[in-house]
Amino acid sequence: MDAHAAQHALAATPAFSSRPEDLAWFILLLPLIASASIAAGVRRSTFLSATLSIGAVVAAFVLSIALFLPFGLGGYVAVPSTFSWIHAGDLNVDLGVAVDRLSVLMLLIVTGVSSLVQIYSTAYLKGDSGYGRYFGSISLFTFAMLGIVLADNLVMMFVFWELVGVSSYLLIGFWFEKPSAADAAKKAFLTNRLGDFGFLLGILMVWSATGSVQFAGIANALALHPAALGSLASIAGLLIFCGAMGKSAQFPLHVWLPDAMEGPTPVSALIHAATMVAAGVYMLCRAYVIFQIPGAWPAPLGFLSGISALDIIAAIGGFTALLAALMAVQQDDIKRILAYSTLSQLGYMVMAVGCGGPAAAMYHLTTHAGFKALLFLGAGAVIHACHHEQNIWRMGGLWRRLPVTFRTFAIGTAALAGLPILTSGFYSKDAILVSALDGGHPVLFGLGVLVAAFTPFYMLRLVIVAFFGPARSDAASHAHEAPAAMTWPLIALAVPSVAVAWLGLGDFLSAHFDPHFHAHEGGGIFGPFNHAPLAAMFGTGALLFGATAAFGVYWGVAKDPLPAQLGCLSRAMRDRFYFDELYEAVFVPLHDMIGRLCGAIDRWVFSGLIIRGVHGSVELFGRGLRLVQTGNLQTYTFLFAAGVAVVVLLATI
Amino acid sequence: MNYSLLSLEILVTLLGVAVLLGDLWIPSSARRLLGYVAATGIGILLTYAVGTAAPPDGTAFGGMFVVDALSNYFKGFFLLSALVVVLLTIGSSESISGYAEYCALILFATVGMLFAASANDFVLMFVALELITVTFFILVSYSRNRSGSLEAGVKYLIMGALASGFMVFGIALIFGSAGTTQFYEIAARQTELGRSPVFLIGLLLTLVGLGFKIAAVPFQMWAPDVYQGAPATTTAFLATGSKAAGFALLLRVAFSAVPDITAHWSRLILGLGVVTLLYGSLCAIPQRSVKRLMGYSSIANAGYLLLGVAAVSLNGSTAVLTYLGGYIFTVLAGFAVIAVVTAQSNSDDVSAFAGLGQRSPLLATGLTVSLVSLAGIPPLAGFFGKFLLLKSIAAHAGSERLYLVALLAACVGVVISLYYYFGVVRAMFWPRTVADLTPIPVDGPTRLALGICLIGVLYLGVFPNALVQGAKQAAAGLVPQTAIAAQPVHAVHH
Repeated sequence: MDAHAAQHALAATPAFSSRPEDLAWFILLLPLIASASIAAGVRRSTFLSATLSIGAVVAAFVLSIALFLPFGLGGYVAVPSTFSWIHAGDLNVDLGVAVDRLSVLMLLIVTGVSSLVQIYSTAYLKGDSGYGRYFGSISLFTFAMLGIVLADNLVMMFVFWELVGVSSYLLIGFWFEKPSAADAAKKAFLTNRLGDFGFLLGILMVWSATGSVQFAGIANALALHPAALGSLASIAGLLIFCGAMGKSAQFPLHVWLPDAMEGPTPVSALIHAATMVAAGVYMLCRAYVIFQIPGAWPAPLGFLSGISALDIIAAIGGFTALLAALMAVQQDDIKRILAYSTLSQLGYMVMAVGCGGPAAAMYHLTTHAGFKALLFLGAGAVIHACHHEQNIWRMGGLWRRLPVTFRTFAIGTAALAGLPILTSGFYSKDAILVSALDGGHPVLFGLGVLVAAFTPFYMLRLVIVAFFGPARSDAASHAHEAPAAMTWPLIALAVPSVAVAWLGLGDFLSAHFDPHFHAHEGGGIFGPFNHAPLAAMFGTGALLFGATAAFGVYWGVAKDPLPAQLGCLSRAMRDRFYFDELYEAVFVPLHDMIGRLCGAIDRWVFSGLIIRGVHGSVELFGRGLRLVQTGNLQTYTFLFAAGVAVVVLLATI
Repeated sequence: MNYSLLSLEILVTLLGVAVLLGDLWIPSSARRLLGYVAATGIGILLTYAVGTAAPPDGTAFGGMFVVDALSNYFKGFFLLSALVVVLLTIGSSESISGYAEYCALILFATVGMLFAASANDFVLMFVALELITVTFFILVSYSRNRSGSLEAGVKYLIMGALASGFMVFGIALIFGSAGTTQFYEIAARQTELGRSPVFLIGLLLTLVGLGFKIAAVPFQMWAPDVYQGAPATTTAFLATGSKAAGFALLLRVAFSAVPDITAHWSRLILGLGVVTLLYGSLCAIPQRSVKRLMGYSSIANAGYLLLGVAAVSLNGSTAVLTYLGGYIFTVLAGFAVIAVVTAQSNSDDVSAFAGLGQRSPLLATGLTVSLVSLAGIPPLAGFFGKFLLLKSIAAHAGSERLYLVALLAACVGVVISLYYYFGVVRAMFWPRTVADLTPIPVDGPTRLALGICLIGVLYLGVFPNALVQGAKQAAAGLVPQTAIAAQPVHAVHH
């Protein structure tokens, strides 16, 4: 009986046992519940929306700590907690959570940064008419991001991947009445979709070759048959990488990230530091096993043999890192400088994955999440204090007026620049340089050192111009420190920017990717200088060089001297090397043309000929039939009798 | 003889008489009280009928009257239909002249329906039908000051008399050739009777009378005019109780009395069903009057139900019964809203419903749920019946091309119906012109009636199992023991 079967399917709900790994489900669902209830009704009440959203994410953070202790530190191995979701032919997708070192660490980052950002937002968005909507969207975003982190299979990850795309669209376009914000949201969404298409193709390819979409199943299948993907091995890897290219804004899909600064600054902090852009790198680390198999190319691409997918990924990452660093040097908008710096650091992480160092990439992702969120929130405090002034040349002298913001911002800058020993950024950056050296990529190592020199240069440029010298506008001279709800998250984020590296995080992650990993002798805080002195020396040298140059060029100037010295190069850097213009000139008209063609087919063939044709003839028929219904009783009785005759006739045939 | 088998019929009759007599003593200002009395009485009987206290299976009047799963299934729905209709009339008890008679007539029509559900004899069938039809002559023309209502009454009277004439002539021919009018006795001799042209003509003319009741092509002419002209509460009862009674009798005649001949005529029934559903769907498209639209919708639904009869299988009959169960809740919900809106604006044009979404979210939701359910969209009650119906047809579609055509036609009909049902929904929520936006008050009994129907539509949509099981049990009782062996080839039993 069909009704019976349907009832049965409805009744089949998952039964939760009381195992500790099932906490992950609660972590995942808390923000969703908050988001749903805000959307359902409490949106109007600013207090309730904020309380619900913050309460959910803080609870998720506490649960994440509870999960981190046994599964991150305690060395417990989680039993997979799954229930069946899709069964269609050969495709079996179970809804499951992966609880291991990688995901529990990422849970801490996402829920922690999200908590601080949301607390900060209560002050930053005070009085905004979309307050409730903001917290609903940010909870949805957090839910989506947690889904990516916890997904134990590619299909589930892809679903949440798309959900991140949608919720980031809502957040970037939060002030949708501003055309630039609406455009930026659209641009981010569409650029991401482009990458996602490749990702989906990659998932299909991996599924058809290995017969599984679960990460564990893929790993098993590839361990048994490393050549399962045949000549498509490298292509599949690159298609998967396409997804990361979109989310982590790698060249050539990097164009959406700077524009996405149109969203509220706390959103930038969340999306562009700790969560959405980190998702790409996280996914590469999660699916790293797909990149470890021997590379192979189909015959037409035979000339690429000898180059693996990872090599290409490393090159793209390194190129993005340098390109973005160059662009950052000539930006005047405080948020845009940070945005390009994010691009550059993401390039770093992707390069690390490509060089065979996913642990180094995750290490940098972790430290970067802390100090970049700190920098963005600090920038938000500056913008808030200067009445929405974002141009650093119209600031100045802020160190005296915004003491907390200045000190925390300086810590974040030091971490991003990689100040040795004192900051977490030094250790993770060093790990990346080491992985480039160990992976046999001297050119990329050189590139990394170059970027490491640019990073202190543009960051100190920002700090010197915005915080020192005389105030260059009324707003800057009357700036006041932000309220406590904004300064406390800054202080909270400054702590891990300094301290997180001393906790042995690098070894913690290395042990996840390599079961045979042994911590180096003579580790501790001077470890980098002991076991890989070359990388540590070059990193420190680059920092000194960049910092000295920044002080030399920008200390005490009122106007940027570089455009005069560099000429058109400076203009190209400022204008982002004209990538947006190039895309606008090539892809937009092409799209327009295809769109217009499809539109014409739809309008004239489908809508005109088919839909309207059928609709018109049916309607005409109906109108014709109605004429039979004259309302005349004589006609009715006649037709009735005639009908009887017809029925009798038909029955006797 | 066991009179307890007739307890429902007797009690409803007594209730009707009580309402009539009560009018003599109750002051005219307290007429509303009679409506409450009638509603409470039916409510008690309804719980009695569907509860465990229902009379046990058996026959009375020498086999003319039968109580079985099928009769109980229908009786519950007839009482429910009467309950909702009475509740809907309470609000307008002041404006209807002779409200007590109106209530009493509804109760007497209900008695006719109860008898129809139990009729196991052509004579009792005719009497029951006449009881329904004659009371409806009056109910249709009850708005005496409105010429539309009177016109509808006259049309229904004359067409009804014509149909009754054919039917009584048919019964005479049946009696003349078979020497009996009882279903079981005819079933026992149907092979022999099937060769008699006089019997077959008589049977056909009887079916013509039933075709009139259910408004199947070519006997559908009256439906749009009468649906439009009659008071909305009468139309609600006509579309649910009267139509369901027609189908109760049709199923009984087709599968208890002459299953073999039905199987022989299945293609004729199928063809009539297809024509009926397409006719109803197509004619509904240009309608501006919502009541008239419901008239055509009612014709289209008769077409779908005939397809289930034409499937000549247990699954087909189960589908018909399930469909009717969901249909009754759905249509009553729709007419509850239509009754309020037409009373408010004195018009049943689509424009009177414009902006209903703002004027009364409750009414707009009610009508939307009803129309969406009529269109057969899950998870509402209308979906499951339609699904089972098409499934029972599809079981034959592989072997017989005509069934495949019917299946396709039914799908086309569903698509067309989406168009005209959603036209009304669009007018309610996205009116083209800015309409009168004053809120519409809804009185308590109407709220109760609408609530019962909406809960029913949603519940049966999400949990159809109980209804399907009940329908299956009722349908299983249809096949007479004597006739099982002689089942036609494509009667599929599970």
